[in-house]
Amino acid sequence: MVEREVAQRIFAKEFNDSTLNIDPGKQVDNNSIYTPNFLITPIGTKVNRVFVVGVVTEVDNIGTDNNIWRARIVDPTGAFVVYAGQYQPEASIFLSTVEIPAYVALVGKARAYIPEDGNVYVSIRPEEINVVESYIRDQWLVDTAELTLDRIDTYSKAISTELKGSDLYDYLVQNNVPFDFAEGITLSLGYYHTGEDYIEELKTAIKDCLESIDVESFETSSDEPDIEEFLIEIMKDLDEGKGVDYGELIDLAQEKGVSEQTVEDAVSSMLSNGKCYEPKIGIIKIVS
Amino acid sequence: MDNNLAPHLDELTRALENVDENLIKNELEKLLSYRVPVEEAKRTILRKYKSNVLYPKNIGNLKANSKGLEINGRIIDIQNKTVNVKGENVPISSGIIADSTGACYFTLWEDMSLNIGDALKIKNAYTRKWQNRVQLNIGNRSEITYLSDESLPSVDEITRQNKKKLFDISFSDIYVNSIAIVVELYHREVNVKNRKTTVLEGVLADETGKLPFTSWTPLEGVDIGKVIQFEGAFVQTFKGVPSININESTSLEIVDSTENLPFTYETASDTSKPVPIKNILNKDGMFEVSIEGNIISLRSGSGIITRCPTCNRVIFKNKCRAHGTVEGYHDMRIKAILDDGTSAITVILNRELSEIVYGSSMYEAEDIIQNTLSQDAVYEDMRRRLIGKYLGVCGNSSNTDFGPTLVAKSVWVPDGSLDDRVHNLLKRLEGVNYG
Repeated sequence: MVEREVAQRIFAKEFNDSTLNIDPGKQVDNNSIYTPNFLITPIGTKVNRVFVVGVVTEVDNIGTDNNIWRARIVDPTGAFVVYAGQYQPEASIFLSTVEIPAYVALVGKARAYIPEDGNVYVSIRPEEINVVESYIRDQWLVDTAELTLDRIDTYSKAISTELKGSDLYDYLVQNNVPFDFAEGITLSLGYYHTGEDYIEELKTAIKDCLESIDVESFETSSDEPDIEEFLIEIMKDLDEGKGVDYGELIDLAQEKGVSEQTVEDAVSSMLSNGKCYEPKIGIIKIVS
Repeated sequence: MDNNLAPHLDELTRALENVDENLIKNELEKLLSYRVPVEEAKRTILRKYKSNVLYPKNIGNLKANSKGLEINGRIIDIQNKTVNVKGENVPISSGIIADSTGACYFTLWEDMSLNIGDALKIKNAYTRKWQNRVQLNIGNRSEITYLSDESLPSVDEITRQNKKKLFDISFSDIYVNSIAIVVELYHREVNVKNRKTTVLEGVLADETGKLPFTSWTPLEGVDIGKVIQFEGAFVQTFKGVPSININESTSLEIVDSTENLPFTYETASDTSKPVPIKNILNKDGMFEVSIEGNIISLRSGSGIITRCPTCNRVIFKNKCRAHGTVEGYHDMRIKAILDDGTSAITVILNRELSEIVYGSSMYEAEDIIQNTLSQDAVYEDMRRRLIGKYLGVCGNSSNTDFGPTLVAKSVWVPDGSLDDRVHNLLKRLEGVNYG
């Protein structure tokens, strides 16, 4: 039985900074049917399958027969590019009908497109995609931060040994690093020569992610979210599917004793943190 | 490329005489396809296969499907029987052979009278996997010679040397010693050869995990909450997980001073702390283990299914494989792939748990099928509701040919409070930055 590839929790930054793709299919080798294609990130994560939760912000229909869908799924560090074609019919249908923006969970395979010019374009080919609630996004951010930080620690330890090649691999395996990750670190070290600079960059990105959650949980202690919740309630009542007229919202809020300025501030904060959006000018809609 | 490889391949086949040349060649080409330098690749292959060739094997390190083995061991248990092979009655012996590193079941395909306690050198034996355990086969090409009695530890020493924590007990153990607390206990009456016997069944726990146990002898004073220390208990498989079997030859005592133990009744009986899924995959089977992760896929066969009323097999179009055309009954289940970022496992939920997780009863699900006239409608609806969600499950895991599987006994929604975790992670980031 071939073991199922784990779905890596990875931020867009680490994913998109990857340029090393190992494609056993390009080699003539009978054993390779079970050897999957994988991407090695700058800190040695071996990525075949990913699990991502983010905000889908763009969906375009591209390709000559209009049968390829390209979407961007955004986390606080950047955007994953997703391509769904004729062999991903369910994902294509999903992308063609999803309301933007929305929180989505995506399971997919890492792909790399390497044209003649030597650039590397990484993307995800979806296996499963679904709309999820915002708390799942927050939980994913924390999970991903934790797992990425674990990987960074292992990678830092690996470079501090100053070992290379199979010596490094042996050292890592002896220290209970999983085989795949030990292989990934060994391969990545010889290719990227990732140093402290990049690790700091990645850590800063993780910090930003975590702080983006913290801010929200601190807000619950101030009175701001009460207004947000209050507005969300009003909007749910008013919304008949197409969103809520901004003027109407202000009128109703004022009737209940909330000043226009407060509503404006709350709405613009909700717009910027993705809790609602403006499908048309003057119309506000809650992200479901 | 092939021509350049030839000298390296020669070198490898010379060094690894007993290993198939094609195997070496495939390995080498595979490594090279990963752009591993030739010298590195040779090194890796040598390391991988050398152990197969050089060392005589200790019983504790035996792997399934190896051949040309040479081992020294003592017979711990043996039974003679005849089996029918192609219409002929063939005498065989089976039992347990052990050395200081471990024990394993063996089958002797020769008519040879061996006795408990015999110390033997066995050359050219091979191993197979049988009921999740490595089994040593001694065939007609094997050579058996007697060793002097002192060359191996005694039967008693062998059966009493294997001290382990419950988590570490696996099918490769036959006898174990451990210390654990009884957290569940039942009495069951069984008929053995027309005589009524009371069997004790229950669950043992320590700080590493839980395992079921059975005792065929009455255990004076043993009850829930008692800590027991046992030596020479037998490890069996029970529904794919290891189980501790206590019989007359097991020595057992109740531990009264429990202050210095690393567990208490409360800590040992609590299995709610999730373990990383990758830790489960290293084990053949685990009893009442908890995991948390995301549902990243639902396998087909989830949703409303039909079962045979006689044998409960899943049937299609009211045709049972064993009972022909039958009037099937409906059942609901979920086969979800749970992934926590360390690994993935298939989780199977029965009807009751499926209804909880799915959020609709089976009758509501049947309505969906009637309204849409599509058998897949429930499966599709489940996927829409569940993919991406967090799920916690507790149950028994097994690692079989069908892949790693956990049959759920209970489910929950993982604690979504993130404040502490975010706080700890930020601290960790700062610690590295400024410390």
